Amino acid sequence: MKVLVVEDSKEIASSVHDFLAREGYICELAYSFDEAQEKLLLYTYDCILLDIMLPDGNGLVLLKFIRAQKIHSGILIISAKDAMDDKILGLEGGADDYITKPFHLPELHARLRAVYRRKKLAGSNIIAFNEITLNTDTLEARVNEITLDITRKEFDLLLYLIVNKNRVLSRQSIATHLWGDYTDNLANFDFVYQHIKNLRKKISAANGADYIATVYGLGYKFNSSSV
Amino acid sequence: MKLVDKLSLWFIGIVVLLTPITAYICYYNLERKIDEAEITRLKEMNDIAARRLAAGLWRDQQVDGASTVVSPLTTALPEERMKISKTDIDKGNSTGMLSLLSVNSYVSVGNANYRISSSNYIPSGKQIRNAIMDTVVWKLLLIILCVCVTARLVSQKILWSLRQTMKTIQHFNVKEKVEFPASRTREFKELNSFLQKMTDKAVDEYASVKEFSENASHELQTPLAILRNKLELLSETNIEEDQAELIGDMQNAIEKLSKINRSLVLLTKLENNEYAVSENIRFCKITKDILAAYEDRIEMKHLTVTTDIDKSIHLKIHPALADMLVNNLVGNAIRHNVQDGKIELTLTHKRFVIRNTGMPPEMPTEELFQRFKKSNQSSDSVGLGLAIVKQICEVCGFSISYNYKNQLHVIQIEFVPASPNEGAKISHDNVETAVLA
Repeated sequence: MKVLVVEDSKEIASSVHDFLAREGYICELAYSFDEAQEKLLLYTYDCILLDIMLPDGNGLVLLKFIRAQKIHSGILIISAKDAMDDKILGLEGGADDYITKPFHLPELHARLRAVYRRKKLAGSNIIAFNEITLNTDTLEARVNEITLDITRKEFDLLLYLIVNKNRVLSRQSIATHLWGDYTDNLANFDFVYQHIKNLRKKISAANGADYIATVYGLGYKFNSSSV
Repeated sequence: MKLVDKLSLWFIGIVVLLTPITAYICYYNLERKIDEAEITRLKEMNDIAARRLAAGLWRDQQVDGASTVVSPLTTALPEERMKISKTDIDKGNSTGMLSLLSVNSYVSVGNANYRISSSNYIPSGKQIRNAIMDTVVWKLLLIILCVCVTARLVSQKILWSLRQTMKTIQHFNVKEKVEFPASRTREFKELNSFLQKMTDKAVDEYASVKEFSENASHELQTPLAILRNKLELLSETNIEEDQAELIGDMQNAIEKLSKINRSLVLLTKLENNEYAVSENIRFCKITKDILAAYEDRIEMKHLTVTTDIDKSIHLKIHPALADMLVNNLVGNAIRHNVQDGKIELTLTHKRFVIRNTGMPPEMPTEELFQRFKKSNQSSDSVGLGLAIVKQICEVCGFSISYNYKNQLHVIQIEFVPASPNEGAKISHDNVETAVLA
């Protein structure tokens, strides 16, 4: 996947770059409106990460430009302003999703993947990993062709883990992913633990390998090579 | 009591107090002057009579109603050559109305001694007193009447400026500056200019504090994002267990910080009325959706949830706010619940009530609406949830109360001012009761 990151904060841009590079994505950075415009005219990208607040222009204007140039990339808006208006304007302006600063990198990645699936893989809804297959349309999870009796939250969690496989996922990031920004995430760790426990039980009941490992002090990790 | 009434009463009080004193002075002076004038005339008549007597021309006479009588004295001349007496008349129709004033002079002509006595009728003291009393009563009545009437009329005019000032200050809101009406009265001028300065200052201060908190929260987002992301990258490098623990603690702290920041931004926005809405949303649907989203957590805590949600409840509230409101309340009801506890949720056109079991509160429940107040100060939560709920209610014109009775935490939101009339008819079939777990 080829991604353009339009973000004026160099530190955030470099974090995103490092994280995505590890997934094997080609990630280019643009720190300003002009730079982004130039890159968009010269190259094509699968996905664009777009910060709304740029030093020399508004991301929403850039969004219009992207539409006007008929660039068919998936667009994920990043904003420090948690304003509803930005979100609505962004989505109406043709963005595919929206994420608020400060975000978790795995969350950003999961959303980017979702946008990519919808836009570029022609709405492919099957995610497969070894013996596990997830259908994002029917919310069906299969292990060794056995359909798991799985709740919506557990499905979301499994999808999040697989998309971010071999990554350390903090409990905070999992909680935010499952319950959103506005719930008190600090008190959700027990629930995260419960969900992980149930998920492992259900996968192993279907003779799936135990991919999910606890990372001491930090959170959980989905290892592509089972332990 | 109104200012004008107070002033009138004081004025009338002073008049009532002073009137008897002035009346007495008036009476005293009037009587003295009348007596003095009459005595002077009678003395003069006596003198003329004495001169005539000496010239041997005497005969009793009457001049202008006063009569002079000369009578010989057998005794020696008294020490005092002149005696004045005043006696009230106590017979006839004029009883009490007149006094007889007489001046007796004692003279000796040749070897004989005479008493010359002149006398006249003058109005009695009592008569003068009555006249003054009548006047005083009339005067008092007129003064009181005039004061009462004019005070009201004049105060309308004079106090108009003060009334305008008060009206302005009552509608004062720190968000915008106000203008006070001009006045020609010095005191009001001073008052207005003082209030003008004060309100302008309050508005400026509020604006700068608001701007600061907005900027601060906004500017914090980027460093927080950097910290969080770098820690995430760090946690994927080769690290030891004790380092992982340190990173974990830092992540917790950043989570809390970002949560506080986000909540404060939200509160500021609510205060700025940035969530104005014009259309109604289906509140019942939002409530059901949120309950469904929390199903997993309800199950994990083995909570019994009883809901009684009416259909088609339309409320004027921003969808994001409705979401946050119910989310916070349901989230709290679950989080602060006990294992195997229960939650009762009632939603009607008039109110939203959520009751849940839980540990009894450690402080007055109303205080929990304040920012950063937590029933259990050591708990991991931020303590802004209920403050946000309250602010949302204020913005939407709902009233909220929190009580703890019968071992249940009861939070009740009254929609009264916002409930639409068309949806007032509720048939009993519409009420559905469901037990979720």
